[in-house]
This record gives sequence, structure tokens and C-alpha cells, in this order.
Amino acid sequence: MNQSNQPIVQLTDITRTYIQGEIEVNAVSNFNLEIKQGDFATLCGPSGSGKTTVLNMIGALDEPTSGIVSIEGQSLSELSRSEISALRRDRIGFVFQSYNLIPVLTAYENAEFVLALQGVKPAERHDRVMQVLKEVGLEGLENRRPDEMSGGQQQRVAIARAIVTRPAIVLADEPTANVDSATAEALLDLMQELNKNDGVTFLFSTHDQRVIDRAKRVIHLRDGQLESDVLQ
Amino acid sequence: MQLNRLAWKNLWRNKRRTLITGFSISLGVFLSVTFTGTGDYGYTNMIDASATMGLGHVTVEAKGFNETPSLDKRLKNSEKIREQIITLPNVSDATVRIMGQAMFASASKSVGGSFLAINSATESEKINLMIRAIVEGELFDENDGRGIVIGSIMAEKLKLKLGKKIVYTTTDINGEIVGEVARISAIFKTGLDEVDGAMVLLPIDRVRKTLGYTADESSMITVIISDQRRAEELRDQLTTMINDPETEVLSWQQTQRDLTGLITIDKTTNYLSQVLVGLVIAAGILNTLLMGVMERTREFGIMMAVGMPPSALFRLVILESFWLAIVGLIMGVMITAPWYWYLLEVGLDFTEMFEEMGGYSAGGVLIDPIMHIRLFKESIIAILSGVFILTLISGLYPAWRAVKTNPVETLKTI
Repeated sequence: MNQSNQPIVQLTDITRTYIQGEIEVNAVSNFNLEIKQGDFATLCGPSGSGKTTVLNMIGALDEPTSGIVSIEGQSLSELSRSEISALRRDRIGFVFQSYNLIPVLTAYENAEFVLALQGVKPAERHDRVMQVLKEVGLEGLENRRPDEMSGGQQQRVAIARAIVTRPAIVLADEPTANVDSATAEALLDLMQELNKNDGVTFLFSTHDQRVIDRAKRVIHLRDGQLESDVLQ
Repeated sequence: MQLNRLAWKNLWRNKRRTLITGFSISLGVFLSVTFTGTGDYGYTNMIDASATMGLGHVTVEAKGFNETPSLDKRLKNSEKIREQIITLPNVSDATVRIMGQAMFASASKSVGGSFLAINSATESEKINLMIRAIVEGELFDENDGRGIVIGSIMAEKLKLKLGKKIVYTTTDINGEIVGEVARISAIFKTGLDEVDGAMVLLPIDRVRKTLGYTADESSMITVIISDQRRAEELRDQLTTMINDPETEVLSWQQTQRDLTGLITIDKTTNYLSQVLVGLVIAAGILNTLLMGVMERTREFGIMMAVGMPPSALFRLVILESFWLAIVGLIMGVMITAPWYWYLLEVGLDFTEMFEEMGGYSAGGVLIDPIMHIRLFKESIIAILSGVFILTLISGLYPAWRAVKTNPVETLKTI
């Protein structure tokens, strides 16, 4: 699938202020950003630069103090709590640094979880889960629980869970932080393939140079503001 | 993945904690079955025993007789009404009786007491405690107008033995004093001093003649039913059926107020004990579920982050308490069943203790010294649903806490 100019995510004049004791801290201020369909972009910058805050707001996990966050043209501030849940369920995939799989569920069930929340019928769920597990290289490991898999395998399950719903964007926070180099490279290969072959849009937050080197677009933040936005 | 399956799996994350909580639920079932079962058995036993002491489960009598018993208050058409009653479903027996006060005298002494005039053809051990308690002699024949059955204490007081003569005097329908001579055909011993010392059985036809009653008049029709819980229902049915303003139909709750009061107090105490036990158990369940929730806030954050709506999260925790209730109930049935069987078939024998206490009666009724158990169907439903609902209610607060999870706070980073 080719990259189009359709913005999936639009942040307009975003400011996010936290209160720490009696002091107001601007985690992000007057921040503007567009993520387009097919992007393979990374947010980078030093700790405290606002990467996580930006990612949380795009993921509808946090709300800006001012400004507008839109996903596929829909302003999040206009959505109710249940509509926000539905948006996260249907349009956003999450890959967490520490995998964050549900420990009592197997690889298959973890990947199936969000499809079940969507109300997809069992037969279709089965086909889609098996297909995605095959894509991420977990064929034959469907019945393993997280504690029976390596870190790399767990992160593959997390990626499978994130993409099985065919979301508009996958938000990945330090996806390679807890795995060894070889596994990190393999995971990046996988995500690059998904981006290239299936047009899955990825937005990373990372310090990992390997991720930054592979990104097609590198967005630098510093002190809660956009420092640079470079296409590679 | 169904929420149900996830809830079931979550329940077994900490097997030991789930089993301990299941055990506390089963303890609740055990105590509740014991309290309620002994109550169901004990109350029925007392009510049925009381019914055989003269008034039955339901009594049909002349209006006002119950409040101020008097021999001039007569029930008309007794036999005809009895024939109608005996055909009704749930009625196991019905018999016509005359009840009154009299003086009983031997050559040396006299005592006051009550007589129950009965038709020996329609009476039996099953419905008459005094016949069941005969220790000497036999119940008079229906043709034996001179027979009398007295209690062992009265026999002692009057210094009378089987076959001896006794004189009784009472007042007839005109208020005239009338007397008869009878011969003791049997002596009974119920164990209740007030019965053994003051009650006698007389043949109804002879008493009718003595009092001036017609052949179809009596004080009451005593009705025995197979299930004491349906007494009030039958009372209403008979009131409608007889439809006579001069006739009154009363249930045992109305004719035996001491017993009704005793049972009411005992039931209330019993229920209060069960509520207290329930609250203690509910606190344990709440603690378990809440710990389970607090340990998983990050996981709930993830679930919400990937799109699980708060309502589904709420349902998940409630389903966990649902499965916990099921586990607890199954354990409860397993633990309670052998105990229930033992009490049902063998029972606990308190005879010695009761004898040391100087008897075993309450509310004027004999109490079975062997404690048995019996659970009515509605009690089983009440216990199971009570424990079930209690467990579900205990899950409400943990479920609410789960819903309050803030994904950003719990995940810190996405």
C-alpha cells in the first residue's frame, strides 16, 4: 500500500500542563503535528521532552489542557468516554515497552481479546488471529501463555494484538527496550514489513538508535516543543 | 475471548486465596443450613406436636369460642362440615370434638381440669397426642359411654388406677351443674405436666347427652394437614367454603399464641445470627475481591487502553465474584451434605441434657430431644440465593474501583 497524504492524527496547538505541588509544568506547549497514513515515524528526544505526553494524547489516554487532538478528522474532545473506548478499540493499536499482555491468556487469546471486545464473530476471530499470528511469526505458539514465551515472542504477541483489528495507527512505546539486539532487529523487520506490505501506520516513542535509523520520519522534541521533523 | 472465561481464569490466579474465600462461603452455607434446617425441622415438629394436643393445625369452631371458651358456644352441623373438610386436598384428618372444663373427683380427692370429648372411631394415635401416650389400658370403645382416659399425674393426685371409677362435674348448656360417673379405661403419660395433670379424654356421645348437645353439635372440628405451612391458606379456604357468620375458622397461629410467639422470637434471633455471619463472610469476600482488583490496576489500565469499555470491566469483576460464589456454593454443598445427612438420619441426642434441665417442652409443647434437620424447598432456595447475592454484592465495590482505573496513571507510559 502506498503512503497517502490523508492525516490520521492531527495535533493543533496542543498544550499539556501538569501541576507538581504548586508549580505548573508544561509537558508540551503549542505543539502541532500531523501523522499521515502509512507513516513509519518516531518521536525522539531526551527524557522529559514530552514524547510520552504526546503519545498518550494521540492514544486518547490523556487530554490536552488546550488545543485539539483529532483522529481521522474526529476531535477527541467531542467524544464521550464510551466513544473514546470504542475509538481506542477500533482505530488505535498499542505496543507497550514491557509487552503488557494479559498473563492468564494464551498468545491466541491475547490477540483475540480486542476482536472479542469489538464483537467479531468467533469464526472470523479465529481466522484473523491465526493469520496475524502467522504474520508475526508465532505459528505453533498460539497456546502458550506469556510466562511460557521469551520477551521477543511476547512483544510479537503485543504487535499481533495491536494490528489484528486493522487500526488506523499503531502507537509503540520503546518497543525494543526490553529485548536483545537480535530480537530488536527482528521486531523492527516485522513492523517495517507490516508498514510496507499492509500500510500499517506506526508512531514510535524511543531512544533506540536502531528504531530512529529505520524510521522514515523522525520527529525531535525538546522541552515540550517540536525541534525538528525530518523525512529520511 | 469471552468475559466469562477471562473471569474464571482470573479467579484461579491465586488458588490459595480463592480456595480460602470459597471455604468461608461454604462455612456460611454450612451455618445457614444448620440454623435454618434445625429451625425448619424444630418448628414443624413443635407445630405438629401441638396440633395433636387438641386444636389441630386449623380449627373450625363457634364464633368467639377461642377467645372465651364456653360450653354454650356450640358449632352446628359439625359432622356435615367435617365430611366436607375431610375430602379437601392437603387435609390428612378432621375430627369433631367438645372441649370444656370440669372437676374430676375420686373417693378421696378432687382436681380441676379440661376434658376433650372425642369420637374414638375417628380419632387415632396420629392426630391425638394423649392416645399416642397411653401407657396403661386402651382407649374406650365408641359404644362405651362410661370410659375415660386420664393423665398419669391426675391418676396419682386422685390415687386412681386403671378400671377405677371417677366422677366428673361440669355445667350444661343451661348453666346447670351436671355430673357423670366414668371408669378409667386408660392412663396416658405425655411428659407434659400440664397435660398429664389436667387433661382427660371422654366419649363424645356421652358428653353430648350430659351437656344437652344435639348429635350434630360440638365445640370444634380439629383439622390436621400434611404441611403445617399451609394452615393459613386452608383457614381462608374453609372460611369461604363454610361461609357462616356464626362459625369461625382459625389457624394454629391464632389458637396457639404462646407457640406462635416462641417461634417468631426464635426465628428472628436465628435470622439475625445468620445476617451477622453473612456480614462477616461478606467482609472476607470483599477483601479477597478488592485485593485481586488492587493487584491488577496496571492490567486494567492496559485493558482500558486497548479499548475495553468501563462497563465491560465492571462486568468482568462482577463475573469473578459470580464464579467465586459458584465455587463457594459447590464447596458448601460438599462440606454440608454429610453433616445434613447425619442430622437427617441420626440426629444429635440431647435427651440427657434436657432431663437435667427438668423436661423438654417449650411453649407448652413437647420438644424432640433428638435434634434432626429438615430444609424446606424455599429455605434451600433462600440460602443458595442469599449466599449468591451476598457474594455478588461484595463484588460491587471492587468492580467500581476497577472502573475508576486511570490508564495513564497505571501505565505511566503507554
